[in-house]
Amino acid sequence: MIRSRARKRLLTAVALVTGVTLMATGCSGSGNGEGEETADGGRTLNVWAGTQTPIVANFNPYFPNPLHAANGAIYEPLFYYNKAQASDPEPRLGESFEWTEDGLELTVKLREGVKWTDGEAFDADDVVFSQTNEAAKRDFIVSVEAVDPYTVKWTFNSPQFTSEAQLIGTALVVPEHIFSEVDDLVTFANENPVGTGPYKADTVTDAAYTLVANEDYWGGAPKVKKVRYLGIDANQSAEDLMTTGKVDWTAMFVADPERITADGRLSMLNTPQNPTTIYTCVSVDLGCTGPQTDVAVRQAIDLAMDRTEINEKAFAGLSATASPTFALLGRDDRWISPDVEAESPQTADAAAASKVLEEAGYTKGADGIYEKDGQKVEMALVTVDGWNDYNAVGDLLVEQAKAAGISIVHNKVTQQEMSDARAAGTYQLMVGGITGPVLDDPFSIYRQWMTTDYTRPVGEVMESGLFNYPRYTNPTVDAAVEAAAATNDEDAKKEQYAIIQTEIARDLPYIPVVVNASQTFVDTKDFTGWPTEDDLYAFPPSWDTVSLGIVLSKLEPAS
Amino acid sequence: MRYYVRRITFYVITLWAAVSLNFLIPKLMPGDPRQIFIDKLMRRGGELTPQMQNSIDLLFGADDDASLWDQYVAYWGRLFQGDLGISITYYPQPVTELIGQALPWTVGLVGLATIISFVLGVGLGAWAGWKRGTWVDSIIPASTLLQAVPYFWLALILVSVFSVTTGWFPRIGSYDIFGFDNGPEWSWAFVGSVIYHGFLPALTIVLSSVGGWLLGMRNMMVSTLSEDYVTTAEAKGLRRMRVALTYATRNAALPSFAGFGVALGFVVAGSVVMEQVFSYPGLGKLLFNAVQASDFALMQGTFLVITLAVLAANFLMDIIYGFIDPRARANV
Repeated sequence: MIRSRARKRLLTAVALVTGVTLMATGCSGSGNGEGEETADGGRTLNVWAGTQTPIVANFNPYFPNPLHAANGAIYEPLFYYNKAQASDPEPRLGESFEWTEDGLELTVKLREGVKWTDGEAFDADDVVFSQTNEAAKRDFIVSVEAVDPYTVKWTFNSPQFTSEAQLIGTALVVPEHIFSEVDDLVTFANENPVGTGPYKADTVTDAAYTLVANEDYWGGAPKVKKVRYLGIDANQSAEDLMTTGKVDWTAMFVADPERITADGRLSMLNTPQNPTTIYTCVSVDLGCTGPQTDVAVRQAIDLAMDRTEINEKAFAGLSATASPTFALLGRDDRWISPDVEAESPQTADAAAASKVLEEAGYTKGADGIYEKDGQKVEMALVTVDGWNDYNAVGDLLVEQAKAAGISIVHNKVTQQEMSDARAAGTYQLMVGGITGPVLDDPFSIYRQWMTTDYTRPVGEVMESGLFNYPRYTNPTVDAAVEAAAATNDEDAKKEQYAIIQTEIARDLPYIPVVVNASQTFVDTKDFTGWPTEDDLYAFPPSWDTVSLGIVLSKLEPAS
Repeated sequence: MRYYVRRITFYVITLWAAVSLNFLIPKLMPGDPRQIFIDKLMRRGGELTPQMQNSIDLLFGADDDASLWDQYVAYWGRLFQGDLGISITYYPQPVTELIGQALPWTVGLVGLATIISFVLGVGLGAWAGWKRGTWVDSIIPASTLLQAVPYFWLALILVSVFSVTTGWFPRIGSYDIFGFDNGPEWSWAFVGSVIYHGFLPALTIVLSSVGGWLLGMRNMMVSTLSEDYVTTAEAKGLRRMRVALTYATRNAALPSFAGFGVALGFVVAGSVVMEQVFSYPGLGKLLFNAVQASDFALMQGTFLVITLAVLAANFLMDIIYGFIDPRARANV
């Protein structure tokens, strides 16, 4: 009885499975077993630029984070500013540009004969539209006009030499005939982009998207015919795919890069750019409290810090030397004033730190910690829990400061808490980064991170675009930044930079720690034409806006 | 009948409370999505250009000034239209589409793994209980050890051995993303690819969860075997297989089935860690990313789907229990 019932059940199950199978067979379409070879024999280049899944088709360059390829491979700027080395802007869609003496007018000559990928001709109207639409317009622009089909003229209400890189370097040019039809430029997904760049979008799935070469590219058809951008969720997965030969170009932190480059397929480029610092809440007038508001305490921390140890233990020895001038050593050397120390001290000098404190009137208490007016030199340092490099910086600094009679309490908080504390100024010390400029000039750091215009009193939440988190206000710096902004003369700028550098190297609103490593891994066995240590023609990370298009257009399959 | 009416009323009220909480909790959560969005961009590197800042301001728009009650009413209104809003992290994808894409993968993989692990665990547990006191008992420490090992560690070891070192299994994705540039399609090659890609993730889930079912089932089996009706059955001289299956296993498995119902409900929540380790495109990862980015619409949407699934599974179990166990109906 039971047996026969069991058999009946089994038969039902078999029937069901067969039915499903038949259905699946009926629905099966053409198989897609496409291998890695493209039509003309070249291999597909596999890239990970940090994209996570699910991938959503969005090639709109006005969206804050579109698919990476939109920024440089599909849409291009007028000129390319290389932040990897000191160099002149390289012509892209623009051929030459000229400022008037007073910095109030900028005229750009455009490249002729460039076509959008839908066949329309590129001309000055596209540039005017790209600079004046709702998402791009800037309040210092009075007008942007097409003088003739291949000449565009900007007029400003104040000297704008310092906006040059943003106006003609990072702003991408979009086709007016398509984008002018769009209601809301920011929320437009632009799933079938029409660009001028070396590549065209091909397919998008939630796991990857592909590009194919633009055979009519003005700079000549790219040699690598197909590029695939992968969506990968964790760095560990990306690392595994690199070692198994599945990824050809990616930029990420890997503590022991030798393991990945050992087989000779991948090479690593390290191009440090962004400084890691200790933000210190500086201004008592704006509401900062704590011993770090005293410049002597900040100087003592600077001297007590053992940056060599921090680099070795927190950054795997891969980061570069920081400069108190925040000019990037090597690339920006010409901007560094001879009157300031170019490098931050690399080893700890507890005695010097003590001396600074003692000269400022501090005395050592019974517990070995300095104090003044009954107030101990004791501060809280904040890092985001789980950001391992920053956590290690915090732990090491606690020990190093203690040796110099300074007490630091290290609190690991959530990213949200860090973000709130930073925006409201409710912290004493915080390990934080500074984003480097888009060209070989530290000016944007001086203005956006250190002037009074870019800060708010403690308690008032800083809106986006303001970066002076330490609430540093120094009229001398403000004046020098303003003066530097109003000139296009290199010597005049250097004079102002020298003033700024003297002030910030003494005041230390940001105590420099290191310049973060920026590792890029490239497949030099299967592809040639990558930037190299000797020829950094472009900033190499696979996610970098604009430069990714420059690199892609220069790659060739190795024969 | 009263039993079912009561149960249904209970679930309707629970559902209302769950949906309301789902609306309220993100509102009460601290955090400024705009700031988090900016932090995320900055952390990845690169300068935040004025154009980008302008875009972010336009995108996130002005703060919603409507009263909480108005927002609540509007929320219910949108829910009934099946509109869960638009994700900020995955702009401009509607939340319903994101969930629709992720759900089949999660339900397919985690669901299948849960069923396999349940069948395997209960089967082995019944066998171990039946053969108690023999060498078979030694599988218990082995399986509990597998369960005690942190899941991510087990997964990473398997990945390191089977996909990195030997290269037998793929490393990421739910299908071969190097081979199917056009995405999912109906073909044997694709189905094969899905099974191949799902094998290792499924194995890690089974390995890490089979121990729980096994131990529970084995212990129930042991206590059931000491019941009088089992002794009676044996005394009647029934065949040993019959005693083991229809008398002992059937009764011992009841609590496991209740647990299975709940486990099935949680299948929808996915396995956050598994999906992260294997870059598997499921709902757990979506939820994880939504919480990290304070993407309220996406968070509410995924929570809602998970809540509904858990409630539905419990409801189903209640109904089934009402059928198979008369005591449940009597005890209202």
